[in-house]
Amino acid sequence: MEEKEEKTSKTVVKIIDNGPLIISGNFIFQDIKRNIESNPGKVELCRCGRSRNKPFCDCSHKE
Amino acid sequence: MEERSLTNDRKYSNRDITVYWKPSACVHASHCYRELIEVFNPHRRPWVNMKAAPTDEIIEVVNMCPTEALTWKWNDMEKNINIDPDQTNHVKFRRPELIDDNITDSVERPAMVKVLVDGSVMIKGDFTLIHAGETLEYKDNVISVCRCGLSNRMPFCDGHHTKTGFTG
Repeated sequence: MEEKEEKTSKTVVKIIDNGPLIISGNFIFQDIKRNIESNPGKVELCRCGRSRNKPFCDCSHKE
Repeated sequence: MEERSLTNDRKYSNRDITVYWKPSACVHASHCYRELIEVFNPHRRPWVNMKAAPTDEIIEVVNMCPTEALTWKWNDMEKNINIDPDQTNHVKFRRPELIDDNITDSVERPAMVKVLVDGSVMIKGDFTLIHAGETLEYKDNVISVCRCGLSNRMPFCDGHHTKTGFTG
């Protein structure tokens, strides 16, 4: 049986207190090098400026 | 009573127009104060002085704003209806279906998330923002979120990264 799954969920931007910026749902993501990706799933972006894996969070804010 | 706003939006008027200031959308491209410091002076409070330049000059500079942090409208609402979309940066004029606030726009546009080089992250389009226990719906809107950790207006960017040499 074939089940068709439509992924049309809204973009949700969640700002975690003293933590990262989590973006989920459908969205278009452009990184620093201007590479564009449609619907990358969930991304967690660094908000403390200390990540070694910018723009993504690597939990350096907990150190 | 002033309506509570997470994003601290403000508006400034002269006889002809109202300029809308949405600090959460500002990416500090600095066109406004480089072009017209008499009107847009970030070191002054209030930072916008609508009396300091003629209306057409203010409109010209507001239209340079790349993010809709600054937008404008004629005070005479009839003039807004017949405006040439090329002559304004106002989001409602570029999306004429939104001119009537009573029409609910049901089309969802996926948000665009742009990580700016050595700067903030800009989120544009339709999205839900969850922050400090509040859930806010943004429709065809823009916010600019701090990535350097030093903003005085958290979670939004206040341009601090330009003073501290933030990279990444």
